[in-house]
Amino acid sequence: MSDRFGHLVRAEWTKFRSVRRWVLGLLIAIGLTVVLSTLFASVGGTDANSAPAVADRFHFVHQPMTGDGSVVARVSGQEPSHDWAKAGVMIKQSTASGSPYAAILVTPRNGVRFQADFRTDIGGSGRTAPLWLKLTRSGTTITGYESADGTTWTEVGSVSLSLPQTVEAGMFVASPEIVEIQRQFGGTSIGGRPTLGRATFDNASVSGGEPAKWQHEDIGASMFTSDETGATESGGTFTVSGSGEIIRLQQGDDDLIFNSFTGVVFGLMAVIVVAVLFITSEFKRGMIRTTFAASPRRGRVLVAKALVIGLVTFVAGLAATAGAFLLSQPQFRANGYRPPAYPYVHLFDGVVMRAVVGGALFLALLAVLSLGIGAILRRSAGAIALLIAIFIVPQILFGGLPLNVALWVGRVTPVAGLAIMQTTKRWDTAIDPWPGLGVLAGYAALAMGVAIWQVRRRDA
Amino acid sequence: MEATIEVNGLRKRYGRTVAVDGLSFTVQPGQVTGFVGPNGAGKSTTMRVILGLDAPDEGTALVGGQPYRMLRVPLCHVGALLDAGAIHPGRRARDHLLWMAHSNGIATARINEVIEMVGLTSAARRRAGGYSLGMRQRLGIAGALLGDPPVLMFDEPVNGLDPEGIRWIRGLLRSLAAEGRAVLVSSHLMSELQDTADHLVVIGRGRLIADTTVAALVAAASGDRVVLRTAHRTEAMTALASAGATVAATDREAVTVTGLPAERIAAVLGERGLSFSELAAHRATLEEAYMELTRDAVEFNSPTVRAEASDE
Repeated sequence: MSDRFGHLVRAEWTKFRSVRRWVLGLLIAIGLTVVLSTLFASVGGTDANSAPAVADRFHFVHQPMTGDGSVVARVSGQEPSHDWAKAGVMIKQSTASGSPYAAILVTPRNGVRFQADFRTDIGGSGRTAPLWLKLTRSGTTITGYESADGTTWTEVGSVSLSLPQTVEAGMFVASPEIVEIQRQFGGTSIGGRPTLGRATFDNASVSGGEPAKWQHEDIGASMFTSDETGATESGGTFTVSGSGEIIRLQQGDDDLIFNSFTGVVFGLMAVIVVAVLFITSEFKRGMIRTTFAASPRRGRVLVAKALVIGLVTFVAGLAATAGAFLLSQPQFRANGYRPPAYPYVHLFDGVVMRAVVGGALFLALLAVLSLGIGAILRRSAGAIALLIAIFIVPQILFGGLPLNVALWVGRVTPVAGLAIMQTTKRWDTAIDPWPGLGVLAGYAALAMGVAIWQVRRRDA
Repeated sequence: MEATIEVNGLRKRYGRTVAVDGLSFTVQPGQVTGFVGPNGAGKSTTMRVILGLDAPDEGTALVGGQPYRMLRVPLCHVGALLDAGAIHPGRRARDHLLWMAHSNGIATARINEVIEMVGLTSAARRRAGGYSLGMRQRLGIAGALLGDPPVLMFDEPVNGLDPEGIRWIRGLLRSLAAEGRAVLVSSHLMSELQDTADHLVVIGRGRLIADTTVAALVAAASGDRVVLRTAHRTEAMTALASAGATVAATDREAVTVTGLPAERIAAVLGERGLSFSELAAHRATLEEAYMELTRDAVEFNSPTVRAEASDE
């Protein structure tokens, strides 16, 4: 940029800093953000650390296995009760829910998986039933295999697991709940509807130790009655019905970093007012004529103005988001948000920095958007009302809109920019952080483009 | 850069209103050019077009031979006061001049100079919101002088000034012209310009009415009228009419005579033995000349205005 552009930026910076109310307005934006963020952080709490860490519920057809050996079965059929319904063979320390295990299993939609101890999850082929599955135990190593014909076996994965000499081995069926999110004004309820999985097995055998009789039972508490779950055998074919999930539960899905910045929604109103007035006050008093007489290249004037309001807001925004983060975290800790469910986070952690700096960028882009809208409308009240409506109305309506509509609004309107402060992905995540900020940047660029085009052709 | 303003065939309409209709004139350096016309005549529009703020529908306006929008440091070429109210009320006067200086890369030392020139030194650190109209005019003039430009334009600068301020601004305008600058000053009152302007551009309804010197305009308006004051009005009128003059009674004792020089009138009256108390060549005021010129061009012509004009 040329030296002359530097003059313009300097002139616009002088204009900004010499109106006390505008400087005060940004200080108010910082204050609102920090104080309200801290206030919101101080209410509410979590019991995530006292909640169970794993889910371990399924129907198990098993017999004891001692020492090294293997368990084999052919899954001849599986009902598609859920994308993640499971049917397969398992070696488990005991029938106690939550005890260590290793399993190879097939799902209706997610192929073959080798899973162990609520931690290991290795994908195999994309095959569905019918197919053969096998687990072998050799010392502490358990290896999972799959096969189309029972003769040629492909290893899917292995895991080292310290299990007692005698374990339980056999076939199992599980089928998770379907998560249902219901939204009404005033709240969101997340509920689960249990599903019943059913699969048929044949050619089942356990080698290692004495041959024994098959036993079967629900592991963990079933959502279904014992009439519904169960296993029947007829001529070597087992039909097994089971429900539940074998998984490590996510402990607490609150985005504590994003939730540090709840006050930004209020601070942004002050930013909108200041950024709009920075341009509309010139139109209101005819000062724009003095400005354009001093600098006839009007587009450059608007760009210089955008640069100044953007940079100034960025600096103020940085103070606001960093302050909000630093003051909110102790409140969260006091309310039970502690490790292990909620590990401590620090200002200079990567995701935190992205949220803090990104939040400041969000406010800076919002200021540029406001300036552009102000230049197009040339009226303070209209521009401020429009912008506040764009940012506040979705916040109010969000809980009342159908989820897909709410997510759509969160993706395609300037509100998407708020996503830059999100650090987790949940069912209500509308858009990823950087694309979200990109949407806002797009709107800001569009508004500035229209403003420059208009200011060039209209009489001042 | 040449210190001139050249307006050529300028036409500007806003919607259905024609604000300026084929206007051409030139402002020369070293003179104060008065830009006169009734309210709504198109003075401010013309000035906005000269400053590149409004785009003309036809014609050109050049400053020193260039369109204003081509100027890269315009404040150093043209200084303008358009609207004294165009200041953010929350900004200190000094800061207002500071951003203007920055925008054109003008040294900040110049700010104190112009503040002193307009007599705002003691008020420079106050917020403009608390300024009187007169002080705002002075601040606007300071802004116009900031770049030490060879061309200056002031739109109604006298508005809101007290008598001392009016005297001050007249002196300022004269001294700026004496330095060789081209100075264009608009006013809707000719009397404000009577002792200040060298040259006059008179417009009405967006059209040029006169582009002349002050002296020539006054002479033209005065015509060869002679005012006669006599107790023998009727006899005098008869005598002068028969001598070939056009005579009009203006009141009980006064008669306006056209078509005869004063010496001839005195001779005719002397021949008839008619005494008179006054016999004077009529010298029109600039205001009268202006009224004469713009009588048909007043946008909102009212009977009162017409009556006053013909009274004089």
